[in-house]
Amino acid sequence: MIDLDKETLVKMIDHTELSAHSGEKKIANLCGEARSFGFYTVCINGGYTRYAFEKLQGSGVLVCTVVGFPLGAGTPTAKAFEAAEAVKNGAAEIDMVIHVGALRDRKLDLVRDDIRAVVDASGPALVKVILETCFLTDEEIVSGCRLSVEAGAKFVKTSTGFGAFGAFPDHVRLMRRTVGPDIGVKASGGIRNFKDAWRLIRAGASRLGVSSSVAIVEGLSLYKFAPAAWLEEEIPCHFCPSRFASIDKQPKAVYAYYKKKCQSCPHLEPFNKFYE
Amino acid sequence: MNGWMGKIIQIDLGSNRQQALPVTPETLRRFLGGRGLGVKLYTDLCPDPLDPFAAENALIFMTGPLTGTVMTSGRYQVVSRSPLTGTICDSSSGGSFGAVLKSAGLDGLVIRGRADHPVYLFINDGGIEVRDAADLWGLNTQQTQKAIHERTPAKTSVACIGPAGENRVPFAAIMNDRDRAAGRGGMGAIMGSKNLKAVAASGNRAVVIADPEAYQAMNARLDRAVDKNPVTGKSLQVLGTPVLVNVINAHGMFPTRNFRSGVFNDAEGISGEKIAETLLQRQSACYKCPIGCGRTTKTRNRQGEGPEYETVWAFGAQLGISDLTAIAEANYACNELGLDTITMGSTIGCAMELHEAGALGEKMLWGDANRLVGWVQDTACRRGFGAELGLGSRRLAAKYGRPELAMQVKGMEIPAYDPRGAQGMALSYATSNRGGCHMRGYMIMPEILGHPVFLDRFSTAGKPEIVALFQDIAAVVDSAILCRFLQFAMGISTFSEMLRAVTGLDFSDEELLTAGRRIYTLERLFNNRAGFMRADDTLPPRFFQEEFQTGSSRHRRVRLEEMLDAYYAVRGWDAQGAPSAATLAELGL
Repeated sequence: MIDLDKETLVKMIDHTELSAHSGEKKIANLCGEARSFGFYTVCINGGYTRYAFEKLQGSGVLVCTVVGFPLGAGTPTAKAFEAAEAVKNGAAEIDMVIHVGALRDRKLDLVRDDIRAVVDASGPALVKVILETCFLTDEEIVSGCRLSVEAGAKFVKTSTGFGAFGAFPDHVRLMRRTVGPDIGVKASGGIRNFKDAWRLIRAGASRLGVSSSVAIVEGLSLYKFAPAAWLEEEIPCHFCPSRFASIDKQPKAVYAYYKKKCQSCPHLEPFNKFYE
Repeated sequence: MNGWMGKIIQIDLGSNRQQALPVTPETLRRFLGGRGLGVKLYTDLCPDPLDPFAAENALIFMTGPLTGTVMTSGRYQVVSRSPLTGTICDSSSGGSFGAVLKSAGLDGLVIRGRADHPVYLFINDGGIEVRDAADLWGLNTQQTQKAIHERTPAKTSVACIGPAGENRVPFAAIMNDRDRAAGRGGMGAIMGSKNLKAVAASGNRAVVIADPEAYQAMNARLDRAVDKNPVTGKSLQVLGTPVLVNVINAHGMFPTRNFRSGVFNDAEGISGEKIAETLLQRQSACYKCPIGCGRTTKTRNRQGEGPEYETVWAFGAQLGISDLTAIAEANYACNELGLDTITMGSTIGCAMELHEAGALGEKMLWGDANRLVGWVQDTACRRGFGAELGLGSRRLAAKYGRPELAMQVKGMEIPAYDPRGAQGMALSYATSNRGGCHMRGYMIMPEILGHPVFLDRFSTAGKPEIVALFQDIAAVVDSAILCRFLQFAMGISTFSEMLRAVTGLDFSDEELLTAGRRIYTLERLFNNRAGFMRADDTLPPRFFQEEFQTGSSRHRRVRLEEMLDAYYAVRGWDAQGAPSAATLAELGL
């Protein structure tokens, strides 16, 4: 059964528009939708923070601005400046990208300091740390979560939406287990419909970063008419990061790591049987 | 009256007698308009199945409460008993005819009787005039529209038939706004049987909106939703419906050579992308439509509208043809002559397989693009072998002793999605009230396109409930009436909000879906009376017995029996597919 109402769902959504080619019209539409549905924030690039803040005056919808986006490989100083500028322009939340390369190199102090610099620069604004899970092994995800909490972030987040893949329940579950109940977990990237969203919420996500927000909310209204059918048991491989691993888009070690996981996975045999 | 115009007129072409048909507010609320109210009127007027070509048979043109209001609301529905299938049938068309018919003051027009000579109807601000059309008989659909435009006020919209309808080809279409078609089920043939060449409408009456403020807000929201959705905001705009060619082919369910393969090797050459590179002149759109899925195209010799996805398939992969020019020109010919492209192409494919199997002497060869336009013309004029093609695939295959080679359900040809690649689509085809139609419950949305959620296309679990739900939603949208593509951008709750804003009635999601179920059940009741029962809710044996050997739908068969009983249970029908007394009582039928 789905024990989630529309009012709760809309307050879990960061209504997102981060395309490089989005102009003011798209941002205005985004704000219009957020106003009409009552989403928690709009999540946008820094150049539109002031514009969105003004559009949303009086609506109760907050502005969330991305920092160090989408690669995360800039300097702590640059990220801190970007965050401070966003807060000055009206951002109530900051979604920063972790230094993925440093995390993979196990330069943990650098990663922690990078996050702390943004947290300090953001003042009252809530900081979420995007791990970009598609480029990380499970161990690195756990490490990224711990460093984020140590550095004062209030949320960890799966993906930018620009990486090899987006949010998967396996990763959300792992992140939730690592950070515990008091830190937020935001799932983002590739969440296109209510079923995707519901899987991630069940796995422990407390916030969703989505551009298909309206479709997701509308999807909830359809569910009530045939709930059992929509929620039929699924083959887990359909939403497993190993199945979406890509040699073209991921570091070879990470790709090999995910494929290796398949070998010992109990779901592989029934999956192959079903499809052949 | 908000939303509706409050006027449905019945005209008898034999006597020219006109009368207003009263419809109670309760009936409007229960059946909405369009398909729903059309089926209700039809089954009240013709409770016992009639010969579709009988003079007393009713042919009903309907608008809906949303017609002429929000985006994509120019559509209309035509309801009658299909000469192709013998089932109840409604056929839908875009363009602007629906909106103009409503601005002429009508919610619906019921046509009965037979004129003793060719006529056309001119509806102007609520008045109906029967005009002589002797000189129009024999003209193609574009010539007819042009001639009527010269005789009527500016901004008149015309729905007419071509030679195929005049010759009662059982899959003749009604064409409006140049190349828009109420294509499926042969409604054009019924017009022909009544000696009715066209219906022309003109008027200036505005639809009264109950809550203008909510209506404006809804319009703004729709604009955003359509713009944002990747299907309505991008794919359909840039590539039109043929965007599906590569998608469906990649899923191994693009029916090829009469459904004997699910992969067409030349799919790229007939894809939406290829049309954009070669034939496309410009995008075209229906009344108030921001999507604009229509394609104005040009070959070396001709210019016209389309082809859209099903037509690309019907004259392409289904026949083993990869000549895009030939496909486009066959499509132009169907538009001009007034023929349903799906049935036309599928019937030619059936003939090709009959010939290959040695059952048919007429030389019909796979990939023969040169004769394609000729076959279309001969069919419309019922001359030569065209008279045989004009039977449709079921009658043609039966005539030549191989009924199993007709890819049809209840006599209507299955369109461009092989059911072995999507079990829900298979159930939807089998239980469709008008035969092999993808539009009754478009399961490609969840099973292939992942909207509103992605469902495993090879699984039968949960499909009966979802198919019934999609069929009910489709009945609501067809009754309201809006374009089905809006379903990509919005859900049922948006439709109920729109109806609330326009009509002022407090429709809930539940009430609307109950209306959809009521409409579907009423159609089923008629079909039961016409003899369609469980045995007819099936597919050609090919889908149960033969598997593809290549492509991503290989080694699959349709598993209909796993779903059918559960589907009947969801619907409240008995084991033979007849609605139970309790269901009828619950739905007030």
